Amino acid sequence: MLVTNIEIIPGKRITEHLGLVQGSSVRAKHLGRDIMAGLKNIFGGELKGYTELLQESREEAMERMIEQAEAVGANAVLNVRFSTSSVAAGAAELFAYGTAVVLE
Amino acid sequence: MKYSNPEIPEGINTSTQHPLKEFFLLTGGILGTVLAVVVVLTLLADQLAVYIPFELEMELATRVTDEVPAAESESPQIEIYLNGLADKIAAEQALPPEMQITVHYVDDDLVNAFATLGGHLFMFRGLLETLPHENAVAMVLAHEIAHIKHRHPIRSMGRGIIFGLAIGMVSSTLGNAMTDQVLANTGGLTVLKFNRDQESEADQTALNSLYQLYGHVEGADALFEVLERVSGDDQLQMPEFFSTHPLSENRINNIHSFQTEYSAVENRTTMPLPEGYATWLVSAPKK
Amino acid sequence: MVDLIVFLVLLALGYGFGRYAELKHYKSIIQREEEFRDIPVVTTKFPPLTKPLSDVALVSGSVVISVDYFKRFIAGLRNLIGGRVTAYESLVDRARREAILRMKEEARAFGGHIIFNVKLETSSIHKGRKNGIGAVEVMAYGTVLIKQ
Repeated sequence: MLVTNIEIIPGKRITEHLGLVQGSSVRAKHLGRDIMAGLKNIFGGELKGYTELLQESREEAMERMIEQAEAVGANAVLNVRFSTSSVAAGAAELFAYGTAVVLE
Repeated sequence: MKYSNPEIPEGINTSTQHPLKEFFLLTGGILGTVLAVVVVLTLLADQLAVYIPFELEMELATRVTDEVPAAESESPQIEIYLNGLADKIAAEQALPPEMQITVHYVDDDLVNAFATLGGHLFMFRGLLETLPHENAVAMVLAHEIAHIKHRHPIRSMGRGIIFGLAIGMVSSTLGNAMTDQVLANTGGLTVLKFNRDQESEADQTALNSLYQLYGHVEGADALFEVLERVSGDDQLQMPEFFSTHPLSENRINNIHSFQTEYSAVENRTTMPLPEGYATWLVSAPKK
Repeated sequence: MVDLIVFLVLLALGYGFGRYAELKHYKSIIQREEEFRDIPVVTTKFPPLTKPLSDVALVSGSVVISVDYFKRFIAGLRNLIGGRVTAYESLVDRARREAILRMKEEARAFGGHIIFNVKLETSSIHKGRKNGIGAVEVMAYGTVLIKQ
């Protein structure tokens, strides 16, 4: 499954647009990561725990988007956009959306 | 170029699991863990607190006792009497020499008596007024001295601090919706069991020392009958599970079974209170 | 003891009413998605150049959905253990689909037949207390092509 954020793929032709597909995932941090982050607030530096958490979340969101695209019979997702927002105390929502198409 | 809008199946971005199932799993798991951790931590604190030397405890106590209003200069006779009785009981309980018992009389209507750090006992006028004979006074003193002997005050303080720290650490990460309150209450219920065990232990030691001092434990239940009377008007009695002391009923039953076990002596009369006891209690000028 | 009872009552209310509202909302969403099946929505920017001449208009739809007590409690617990907060996933999913449907309603009012360059914005509205998330707002906007 091709996933990209450009619109016109060189050398390929879009035969059918199958509409908007979305994938989202809401993940919460846990006590361990929180304590590490608290310490980092004193010392500074990259919060590796959180970076990992959000990265996993983003991958899960993309997987779900691809799952939706497969369900409607597409073979590529174009013009993908990402968005992160905090919707719950201590949890972030990772959201990916794009257009499912059939490429040739 | 064809544009279409096919139907997308449900359940990809949402979960089909019933929310209640998740709720019960989560709460069950967390409550269970919190209980286990609290039990382990408080046991640890309990065991370790005993190693704090009594001299250090007396140092700590000087800060605590400054809070309670001192009434030494106002009613010397009652304090002399109480301290004398306390010394006799302490001798029977075989207290180590560094544990000095000091009884403070507090001129207040409150029906209470307690022991704190450093061997300090506080007896309130409200309670002393209701006791009918010396054996009852001795039971109260013996119970509180037993607390000192078993180092209950410092152990309670240690447990309280560790428990507070643990809950505080967890609470700071949680959001709102009273999750921290629920956790604190659950942990609190566990700690109450410790308190009840301590009270039973103190009761037992007190009864033993009373038996050694007077040869019988007649009149020891007078205290609990007073307490039951005082709280009996309260229709909404909390079950034992939720309170810091065992039920008065249970404590009275315990005393009666002790009596039947150890009642070899025929002469079981209670000692009357010394003359002037009543006047000593009201001699303190009211502020 | 009293706080515990109050808490349980609030939890039960949150769960009961929240679940009822969610199920009703989902039914309505699925039904309306069927109605609007003829208006596709895409994120691509460029309509094909061979399309017949059309008017364009910016359309948008937004919705604010609030969080109930039950969901907040679950999120609080999840903060200890970590993992997927499924209660919130259904919340944002509902909000997104509702926003897109409202955008399509506006498009229909214009007489359009397809929406291009759709973007979605999500934000949370805080209650003012620390860690108090009151509601989630989702806005969807795009350009609709109207056949002349």
